[in-house]
Amino acid sequence: MTNHWIDIAHADVIMVIGSNAAENHPISFKWVNEAREKRGAKLISVDPRFTRTSATSDKYARLRSGTDIAFMGGMINYAISKGRIQKDYVINYTNASFLVNPDFRGPADIDGIFSGLANGKYNKSTWSYQTDADGNPLKDTTLTDPNCVFQLMKKHYARYDMKTVCKITGGDPVLYEEIYDLYTSTYKPEKSATIMYAMGATQHTYGSQNVRSYAALQLLLGNIGVAGGGINALRGESNVQGSTDHAALFHILPGYLKTPTASQQTYEQYVKESTPVSNDPMSANWWGNYPKYSASLLKAFWRDADLETGYSYFGKIDNGKNYSTIPIIEQMASGKIKGLFCWGQNPAVGCPSSRLVRRALAKLDWLVAVDLWETETAAFWQTDAGVDPAYINTEVFLLPAAASMEKEGSISNSGRWAQWRWKAADPPGDARDDLYIMTELVFKLKELYKKEGGAFPEPILDLSWDYAKMGMDGHVHHPNPREVAREINGFFLKDTEIKGTLYKAGQMVPSFAFLQDDGSTCSGNWLYCNSISDSENRMMRRETSDPSGQGFYHNWSWCWPVNRRIIYNRASVDEQGRPWAKDKPVIWWDGLSKKWLGDVPDGGWAPGSKYAFIMLPHGHARLFAPGMTDGPFPEHYEPLESQVRNLISAQQESPVIFRWDKAVQEQVCDPMLVEGAAACVFGSPDKDKFPIVCTTYRVTEHWQAGQMTRWLPWLGELVPDMFIELSEELAKEKGIRNGDKVRITSIRNLEGIVAYAMVTKRFKPFEVDGKKLHQIGMLWHFGYKGRVTGSIANDLTPLIGDANTMIPEYKAFLVDVNREEV
Amino acid sequence: MAEYIKLIDLTKCTGCRGCQVACKQWNELPAEKTGFTGSLQNPMDLSYSTWCLIRYDEFDEADGMKWIMRHDACMHCDWPACVKACPSPGALVKTDSGAVVHDPNYCIGCKACIVACPFDIPRYSEHEEKIAKCTLCYNRITDGKSPACVTACPTGTLEFGPKEDMLAKAHARAEAVGGSVYPNNPKYETHVIYVVPGDVKLAALQHVNPNPKMPTTILWWKNLFKPFTLIGMGGVAGMAALHYFIKGPHRVEKKEEGGEADG
Amino acid sequence: MASSREKMVYVSTAEERIIHWMLAGSCLFALITGLGLMFHSWEIIPTMLGGYYATKWMHIFSGVVFAISLVAASIIWWEHCKFVPDDLKWVSQAGGYLWEAHDLPPCGMYNAGQKLFFWCVFAFGIIVVLSGIVMFNPLPFNVTLARWAYMLHVMGVLVIASFFVIHLYLGTVGNPGTVQIMFHGWATREYCEFHKGKWLADRESKGDASE
Repeated sequence: MTNHWIDIAHADVIMVIGSNAAENHPISFKWVNEAREKRGAKLISVDPRFTRTSATSDKYARLRSGTDIAFMGGMINYAISKGRIQKDYVINYTNASFLVNPDFRGPADIDGIFSGLANGKYNKSTWSYQTDADGNPLKDTTLTDPNCVFQLMKKHYARYDMKTVCKITGGDPVLYEEIYDLYTSTYKPEKSATIMYAMGATQHTYGSQNVRSYAALQLLLGNIGVAGGGINALRGESNVQGSTDHAALFHILPGYLKTPTASQQTYEQYVKESTPVSNDPMSANWWGNYPKYSASLLKAFWRDADLETGYSYFGKIDNGKNYSTIPIIEQMASGKIKGLFCWGQNPAVGCPSSRLVRRALAKLDWLVAVDLWETETAAFWQTDAGVDPAYINTEVFLLPAAASMEKEGSISNSGRWAQWRWKAADPPGDARDDLYIMTELVFKLKELYKKEGGAFPEPILDLSWDYAKMGMDGHVHHPNPREVAREINGFFLKDTEIKGTLYKAGQMVPSFAFLQDDGSTCSGNWLYCNSISDSENRMMRRETSDPSGQGFYHNWSWCWPVNRRIIYNRASVDEQGRPWAKDKPVIWWDGLSKKWLGDVPDGGWAPGSKYAFIMLPHGHARLFAPGMTDGPFPEHYEPLESQVRNLISAQQESPVIFRWDKAVQEQVCDPMLVEGAAACVFGSPDKDKFPIVCTTYRVTEHWQAGQMTRWLPWLGELVPDMFIELSEELAKEKGIRNGDKVRITSIRNLEGIVAYAMVTKRFKPFEVDGKKLHQIGMLWHFGYKGRVTGSIANDLTPLIGDANTMIPEYKAFLVDVNREEV
Repeated sequence: MAEYIKLIDLTKCTGCRGCQVACKQWNELPAEKTGFTGSLQNPMDLSYSTWCLIRYDEFDEADGMKWIMRHDACMHCDWPACVKACPSPGALVKTDSGAVVHDPNYCIGCKACIVACPFDIPRYSEHEEKIAKCTLCYNRITDGKSPACVTACPTGTLEFGPKEDMLAKAHARAEAVGGSVYPNNPKYETHVIYVVPGDVKLAALQHVNPNPKMPTTILWWKNLFKPFTLIGMGGVAGMAALHYFIKGPHRVEKKEEGGEADG
Repeated sequence: MASSREKMVYVSTAEERIIHWMLAGSCLFALITGLGLMFHSWEIIPTMLGGYYATKWMHIFSGVVFAISLVAASIIWWEHCKFVPDDLKWVSQAGGYLWEAHDLPPCGMYNAGQKLFFWCVFAFGIIVVLSGIVMFNPLPFNVTLARWAYMLHVMGVLVIASFFVIHLYLGTVGNPGTVQIMFHGWATREYCEFHKGKWLADRESKGDASE
């Protein structure tokens, strides 16, 4: 979230799109309801199905799964054509005025694609700015130059007229117009609107672009950085923000530093290539501090190694190679991965094409599952999974883990608050907390490397891991999470004088501005620097005072960066430091004390002296985003599996997605991999066999792959069975009655899965391009272990990911549904 | 103890069922063995071990789809019919706080309360031979806490507070959203009240009594026939006594006038 | 006693007496337990009987006995209690209980007042029994019906209990010589002539006199 949960209460309009916040983030509705009750805010729900969020909304609009960009493009077009943009904001704070390379071409020029496409990849050389001698972008602040971002954007989205948009989405133009009008009414400086999104936005082959479309609209309306604004990713797990911050992803290191690549063989080269440069004195270019953060991170890993050595210890990824979930599945299925740790993860249920995943697990030599209960993954070899254990050679270890209440530590919520939590009870039996398990593993590895040597033992042997000591009994004793937290914050490794103050070795680094690039400080995550001081762990704070009255609660826990509750908040004020919205200021400049008041500002510089978006090298938020893999402007494409021709261009699906279905066929792989990766693409002969659009989702009552909720009687009672939702119209066509059992098949699973049918008025067929199109929805919480069990929805989902992030496409694919004769 | 009201603002409910689970947790009620019901509503009805339930109703109307979620539990009547009907003193008690509390130690399982309740709330267990229902978490509110459902509610749908405050709030809110307050019968007040959005027809919802009141038959039973059993018996006994004193016993006369015995 | 015995008439059979006392006993016990359940101030009753729960079951069982007795009673007394034209005459003079009556027709086995009591017990007994069945488990029934059952149950009790008191009075101190019949079945000939003249005449004309 750019903002935080409480701040939703400041919104004038709230749009929930690509999210079912009421069901999956119930607490958010405390603040949504507060905004509605106290400010008279309006709630918009945009969703393919009528959800519990839609039920409580003021306006609800439908769109076919996977057509968010069409819907948003229509809204951007509406805002631009009706002049509903916050002009000062757009000119001063965004790159709308930047002049783009005249050779740049977009979908409006070349039918659906951007310039530079070759072999399924974009050469982005034309996606650049015209620059002056210093390398700074040229600007046209009148926004009239045909090559300026604003004009390019205008041209791009002019194609998203209401008729085209509704033809694509299957929506109602009258309703869309009402929603566009309502939402864009917040272009006025004193008004703000927020977008709440989640996996419905991101789990598409163009998921990142869905989010970009929200960001672009919010920037045009001047809604980023302000109270009640922002684009707010609602995290589906209590600590998924923390796991991202601490880099539970292959392409980043803690604090969103870059993973070294094979071509970056020296630290010097890595730092040089990772640190952006700006010659504009107005640009804070905060990432210019990159070397301080990377040096401190290396020192957190290997206290005694110099930076070059430490860097050499880091694993490097092959340039351009992807190591996300889908490639892991593929590598496992191909027999290239021999062992797997599943730590609080249930890929046998949660991963796309999960039947393939379970088959791939059987190719492992060993599997370690760390979880609260025996998960489907840990039990993939059992008869419950529908296999004969005699044929499975994988050795499986199940390590019982402690639940969140049974261990101490911090969790980071969607609003970036790192909140300390204390242990409430001892874990049962042999269950251990994660830190214990990991510490013991590290110590045993060190022991083994010490004893046996082996290839490249130094990274393990030199690893600084001083959270616990190995006991005489050969087991770890009480690893201390507070020690981990201290390391994450970072401390001085030697006596260092900064701005006249002497910091002794071992003292906490006060904030990331004090981190050093010479190895004299360590910090496990620069963003969390400032979370602990010498005297207090700020994450433990629980003070409920709110002196500014703006809901910041600065003394309740701690929030990264440096307790800033709303990021990009320099964009919440005009060039003179006066808040756009007087009734809900975020920061304001006090002329007397020459200080910012309110929230912690995005840098203390005086108003107008630095550009607002300090994390970007040019200091301006990007309407035009050349960093994206699949185009600087979001463009509508169809999902890989679609019954509909792309009605806006000749480019059917995203041109740069990696086609696993094709790749595995070309490699002449194992037939199970070919089957598991198959796709029913537009125009293929299989298209008619799978005429129904399907989407997967969660319900309030269960959580993720169900391993934590399907074992709980009270939750199992609420949703005891796997079901799909379908319209009365489809039910009639297929002779399905409410409560019948149905079989759902996809090209990856011709046998299909069985579930109950919930026939409901909340689903309706779509009218797309003059054709009736049915959509169904299914839960993905179920599996074969637990008190309540059911079919695994992901046995049907496609093995295809987003072009930028490889997040799997769980939200739009093709299936068939038939009544199961009993 | 002050009088309290639980306010249920239906304009805010998202049907997350946090209340339903919190109720089970606090009251240590076991989960029921449920199956697919064709709706999210599950279990489909209140029971001995389900004291609070979200009921889901769908309507496809001209002005759009409606999906109403309603927290259904004991309404804690100010003049509770269940207490009136209950034969066992202490089994059902109306407390000063407004909570109508059942005590399983005194319940004799006669089911009269189930019949009397205008909201069809108490539920009977064959196995336990007792009834159970929501107690407004009497064991929490006497400790200065809100009921478990209110504490769990994430959306602000459920609120708990002094009677006057909640009444004022409910009416203000109803006015602001163009809705109404239910029940709104000054002759039959409850300690649970709803704010109902203007576009929701209460009568169309499951398990709602649009016009709750003390059932007339219960009134006749308890206020008329019950005292009259004593009055009747006593009156007749009095008359018999009078008859005895005035007319004396009806002795058999030796072959004279007719006369009878018995009666 | 032999001499007086000669003048005795066997009025009531053992079966009749057993059924009478079953009916009377179950009715009285149901009444006492019922009142104990209905009036919280009469806590002494449930307390003496072992608590409200025990009282509930005693009430239910006495109701069952009452119901069975009621069926049996109706079988044996149905014929005797059919109204005859003379009953109207009897009623119009209140049986001579309230004022001097000079034109009372001789009665059969039972006078009109007794018959009225029988029909009353029969009719309201059925109401009480049927409503009692509903009250035993009201859950399968429509709630309005169930609520009526509670009301009717008490209403029936009101009627039966009031008559019961009259019955008690007239069967004991109000009519000396009556209560014995319900113990040993015999009444004096004078008693029968006085109270059951027609019945006695019929019986004797058939040659079926006393011992």
